[in-house]
Amino acid sequence: MAVGVGLGAAIGALARYAVTRLLQPLTQNRWPVATLLINWLGSGLLGALTAASLSHWLVVCLGTGVLGGFTTYSTFSHEMVMLADQRRYGALISYLILSVGGGLALAALGFWGMLHR
Amino acid sequence: METVFSIAGWAFVGASLRYWLGLQLPTGPDFPWATIIVNLLGSGLLAWLSHADRLTARWPSALTVGLGVGGVGAFTTFSTFSVATLKLLMTQHWGTAAIYMGMTLVGGFIMSVLGVWIARHWFSFPVAEQ
Repeated sequence: MAVGVGLGAAIGALARYAVTRLLQPLTQNRWPVATLLINWLGSGLLGALTAASLSHWLVVCLGTGVLGGFTTYSTFSHEMVMLADQRRYGALISYLILSVGGGLALAALGFWGMLHR
Repeated sequence: METVFSIAGWAFVGASLRYWLGLQLPTGPDFPWATIIVNLLGSGLLAWLSHADRLTARWPSALTVGLGVGGVGAFTTFSTFSVATLKLLMTQHWGTAAIYMGMTLVGGFIMSVLGVWIARHWFSFPVAEQ
């Protein structure tokens, strides 16, 4: 099981790296849109996975592994501190609210969508 | 290419550690302690790693990127934070949900500030500060 989690996370982390690199020219030290989209997508998918009736093994490998490795809290937190450091409080507040609120909303959407599919 | 392998390898380690910690701690329906500990610890570590340039300047960039993006990035998780909060809200544990969100957000912020502060004071080139 632990090997499945590790391998899944390797895939997830590489996907996050690819998305971040891809969106880099778009974000250029302005607003951390890459991390926002990654965490939104991961939250929605984990919500759906929680409601899906899959085997425990698959849920752990995909959820704890792939999605856990794909989404990240440390970068989110560090980016907020950097925005505060640059005194960009508007960007900080919008990033915080969009990340947490959007993550919750998408997790709920994924959950209900999967339940009533 | 070595960056890709480094990220994958360190992500394997980071996520396995998170999974192992989750098994050790009581993560029942009451309170998701494991996710809090993982996210706070990781927030501090990533902030420190991102600013400890005197240390990381001597490391190959693949190691620094691998540790940050792969290791710490996969160790912490946002999706579980969202879904765990959602579960608390759906079961109408409003207070617990508020405490969980508050502890994660405020605690993570404080840990990140602490990580940056420690790195800037003891692990960065004096030139970079000016």
